[in-house]
Amino acid sequence: MTAPTAARSGASSGGPPSREGTGRVLPYPVTGQEIVLIAVIAALWAVLALTTPAFMTSGSIVPLLVATAPIGMIGIGVTVVIVTGGIDVSVGGAVAVVSVVVARSLVEASIPLPLALLLAVVLGGVLGAVNGLLIAFGRVHAIIITFGTANLFRFVALQVFGGTTVNGIPDTLGVLGRGGAGRTLGIPHSFVITVVIAAAAWYYLRHTAGGRHFYVIGGDAHAARLAGVAVLRRILMAYVLTGLLTGLGACMLLAQGTSTLAPNVGLGLELTVIAAVVIGGTSIMGGRGGVLGTLLGALLVQTVASGVTQLGWPSQLSPLFIGVFILIAVGTDLLRQRTRRTS
Amino acid sequence: MSAVLAPPGSSGDARGHESSPARLLRVLLTQRSALLLLLLVAVLITFTIASSNNYLTAPYDVGYLSVTLINAVPLVMLGLAELLVITSGRGGIDLSVGAIVSLTSMVFGFAYGQWGWNLWLAVLAAAVFGGLCGAINGVLIAYVGYPALITTLATYYAFSSLALVINDQKPISTAPIQDFYSTARAVPVPLLGDDALRVPLGIVTFLVPTAVLVWLLLARSPYGRRLYAIGTNDVAARWAGIDVRGTRFTAYVLAGVVSGLVAVVTVAQFASARPDAGVSGNGMALPAITIAILGGVAITGGVGRVAGVVLATLLIVWLNAGILLAFPGNAGGQFQLLALGLVLVFAALLNGYTNRRYRGEA
Amino acid sequence: MSLTGISKRYGAVQAIKHADISVDAGSIHALVGENGAGKSTLIKILSGAEVADTGQITFDGSPAKISATNDAMALGIATVYQEPQLFADLTVAENVFTGREITRRGRVDWGEQNRRVVELLELIGLPARYATRTVSQLSIAEQQQVSIAKALGGEAKVLILDEPSAILTDPEIEVLFDVVRRLASSGVSIIYISHRLDELFQIAQVVTVMRDGETIAALPIAELTVRRVVELMVGGVPDEAPPPDSALDEPPRLVLEGLGSEDAFHDVDLAVRPGEVVSLYGLIGSGAGEIAECVYGMRAATSGRIVLDGEVRSPRSPRDAKRAGVALLPANRKAQGLFSFQSIAFNISAGHLPLLSRLGVWIDRSRERTIAKDLIARLAVKTPDERTVVSAMSGGNAQKVVLARQLVERPPILVLNEPTQGVDVGAKEEIHRIIGSLAQEGTAVLVVTSDLPEAIRISDRLQVVRAGTTTVEFGRGASQVDVLAAAAGAVDEEVAA
Repeated sequence: MTAPTAARSGASSGGPPSREGTGRVLPYPVTGQEIVLIAVIAALWAVLALTTPAFMTSGSIVPLLVATAPIGMIGIGVTVVIVTGGIDVSVGGAVAVVSVVVARSLVEASIPLPLALLLAVVLGGVLGAVNGLLIAFGRVHAIIITFGTANLFRFVALQVFGGTTVNGIPDTLGVLGRGGAGRTLGIPHSFVITVVIAAAAWYYLRHTAGGRHFYVIGGDAHAARLAGVAVLRRILMAYVLTGLLTGLGACMLLAQGTSTLAPNVGLGLELTVIAAVVIGGTSIMGGRGGVLGTLLGALLVQTVASGVTQLGWPSQLSPLFIGVFILIAVGTDLLRQRTRRTS
Repeated sequence: MSAVLAPPGSSGDARGHESSPARLLRVLLTQRSALLLLLLVAVLITFTIASSNNYLTAPYDVGYLSVTLINAVPLVMLGLAELLVITSGRGGIDLSVGAIVSLTSMVFGFAYGQWGWNLWLAVLAAAVFGGLCGAINGVLIAYVGYPALITTLATYYAFSSLALVINDQKPISTAPIQDFYSTARAVPVPLLGDDALRVPLGIVTFLVPTAVLVWLLLARSPYGRRLYAIGTNDVAARWAGIDVRGTRFTAYVLAGVVSGLVAVVTVAQFASARPDAGVSGNGMALPAITIAILGGVAITGGVGRVAGVVLATLLIVWLNAGILLAFPGNAGGQFQLLALGLVLVFAALLNGYTNRRYRGEA
Repeated sequence: MSLTGISKRYGAVQAIKHADISVDAGSIHALVGENGAGKSTLIKILSGAEVADTGQITFDGSPAKISATNDAMALGIATVYQEPQLFADLTVAENVFTGREITRRGRVDWGEQNRRVVELLELIGLPARYATRTVSQLSIAEQQQVSIAKALGGEAKVLILDEPSAILTDPEIEVLFDVVRRLASSGVSIIYISHRLDELFQIAQVVTVMRDGETIAALPIAELTVRRVVELMVGGVPDEAPPPDSALDEPPRLVLEGLGSEDAFHDVDLAVRPGEVVSLYGLIGSGAGEIAECVYGMRAATSGRIVLDGEVRSPRSPRDAKRAGVALLPANRKAQGLFSFQSIAFNISAGHLPLLSRLGVWIDRSRERTIAKDLIARLAVKTPDERTVVSAMSGGNAQKVVLARQLVERPPILVLNEPTQGVDVGAKEEIHRIIGSLAQEGTAVLVVTSDLPEAIRISDRLQVVRAGTTTVEFGRGASQVDVLAAAAGAVDEEVAA
């Protein structure tokens, strides 16, 4: 069982020693970036556990996981979008639309939980489809279209708000919240749901032809079309998927909030999500990355936010650290690509 | 090589015998300024008619239009900053301009409001400090090779965080800063001799000089040529002996300097150096990018003019001003979002169509 | 498979007048011809990228119609282009099966794909463990082999290889040949395109020669020699009278002594005097283009030295080269030369901004206009005025604009890399005339070209670059047959004879 191969070391190079042709048929499921992220998060947790006794208690960990869930959830969709070479800066606006529609439906029509979730997902999907259709068939760069739709979505949301907050939202979505109803055996449901959907997305992206095509498109859309990949349909799908997951993420955010919903909901959320995706190792140029990293990126972002407050530092410091983490994450990726190219 | 060659002169002559409606369409689609001017006139006429028929809550007249120009000052200036970096190509964009405004506001607040610096020295310090922030972006993007979108996202976080932390989230509104408000007031334009016509001073002191300088830089200076060259084709620029990295770096520094000056303007407008001046609400970066794209700046680089950015800003500001009168209260602000979003998506789709039709891009 | 009576016209250009080619199953058929003879067009028709105007295609004894790339693929015709078209971040296995994944209950059957890829890799001589490598980890040669595997993955019956050897080193070419022979013996028909004629004798069974859009001969290799093939390619074109000798009796302005750069080229010796036109003639991949890049500071020299005007000086960057008096016309007009949606004046002045500005802050626009107008007139650029946008111009006119940029400061040393690539006949004529008159004015001109008639026509001296170094030198009025034979690798003695 030796590996006499001249395998150049690389995050995703050949598998473990095996009889030729019968062993590993895919690169490792976990990339270098993800291992580094796990180590960084573990180190941060260890430091926080040592310095602040309150950190390793469920009173601190549960809110951290609950806060990670919607970022991770929406991040799964945005990861797919970025892998295809696109971007979506309208998720904040989409969250606002979904939140206010669901909140008002809960208040005024007292709709039950399943209906609320269905409403959120369908509405999110429609908003995603608007983006996807404009980008795929209008042949305009995604960042421009989603800047535009971000404004439009926010307009729609404010129209539904009608110039005031939505008050007295019932606790129908509590099962996704951070209260007792949102936990089973102490584990928050929202985090579990995000992990399950991330696992499904991971399987889809890694093991189905359709999932692989997202990467092919991000690598070289023209060559992908020549190889017979349905490029436009895939791009549309990526934005619709983001919309669906944004709908679900909005429900989680709604459940985590108070009984009042303010019109500024979701403001700046798109940047937090993109930060999580990029820290997770997905290349903004497309063609590379994965949802596992995004989930870890979201966890890291929330760990930083939580850690800063736990340490008694001003909470406004956490964006500074997030910024630094983004630069380090992208920098190591650049370095890795450069050494791989020159070796 | 068996190259596909058009018969000599065919492509050049094709425009000679096109019908005049077709020609008008081509000018409107390819000359963004012409289209914006047309839309601007349409907006002005629509609201003037609405105003004379008393559909609006207040008269939509020259006096009103000139007062609302105060909103144009930061928008035009940051739109010009985005013009510089987007034109530099390679996915150039700057999400951090709003955060630079916030941070520089605080620096200016300290210098002028607390340390008692001379005003000019403080303004200079703001410009230099903004330039330094831009230089951080520039080094990472032009020399290290970071993608611009991600770099400026990271510095957006870092700068806005520092701005909040630096004075413990408290704004600076000492006496000199409050007096500084006077520079943001509207001044009568004497040459028309009409009391109603008052133009915000910021237009004269900041907007016009910045616009003129950026125009000179882009249209008349060697630097402008280099910037368009690297934005159009940075490989060819390298073969032509142009310092591609230095030119791109400078674009980000200049965007930082302009943001620093915008910080001074916003301090004057609020009579206070606010730590969230450039990032509150939707922030300043997104509207600035929107304005630049609407003004005809191609996201792929190498294309964009000062006139387009200025006209796009006037269009948005005066459209918004009319909307505010047509839909009183909160609704006005909401319809502004609608207008901005629709205009941007419309402009983007138009760009795509124009490129396919007139530039032969697939 | 056979094609008969194929013709194809692009606008005014008759790319193929009449082509017949017939390939037996399991044979290796070489297709040769000079640049512009119509080889690429014929390949495009075969692979479905273009549709022929006339002619019939017969496949396996029955008539076939190829009107799209999918038709060609369905017939089992696969093409491997010179540059591998692969996805760098995906594994070899994934690349081979992109767009036609093997799935089982919705899931990609990695085991099955891998098994098939390992078979293909064995067939082309790559180790099985490469199946799970990402393409970016492979060398160019390995990537090309993967491209072949990819083409074969679609059960190809006919495999077209378009200059596969151009980017490979000699040992890599040996491997390629093994692969090609093995494929042929398993029944795949191969159409092999190459500029390196010596290769044909190692690998091909039949050679079809194209000239001026016609297939003029299809002969078994046993009846041919390199010299005979060259004569067929060049045809009965009379060698033209040499240009007037304008070389001045002065010390050389540009001297390369034992110059080398990594793997690209080595031991290059060359001298260009004022008023002299020296050509480096080499086939694609010979290293000639890289020599030009090195003189212009775009590529670092790793051995030897460059002497400019008697001074040892290796330019570190294009700006440095320009200061030393070297101007260069890049080979790839679109990628390296043109600022496409800018005006002619912009394109001409782009490299000369310090010269055209007052105090370094202000473009002297009237001077810019004058210079642009002057060069437009001198180079006979067809345009209404200097404000016209270059993207609307024909290849020849655009090339003149890029050339004009090099002439603004009247450089003492002018390097022209493929000066007439993709240019129509009239413009080519004019560019040759311009090169001649520049030499008359005392410029030292170094031309790098893969266009043989051009090299012979314009140069006072012509050096053949082969396998990364200068080999044989010819004087004025050399014969095309001799030069091509030298470049294509016929033994040197034969040439010297």
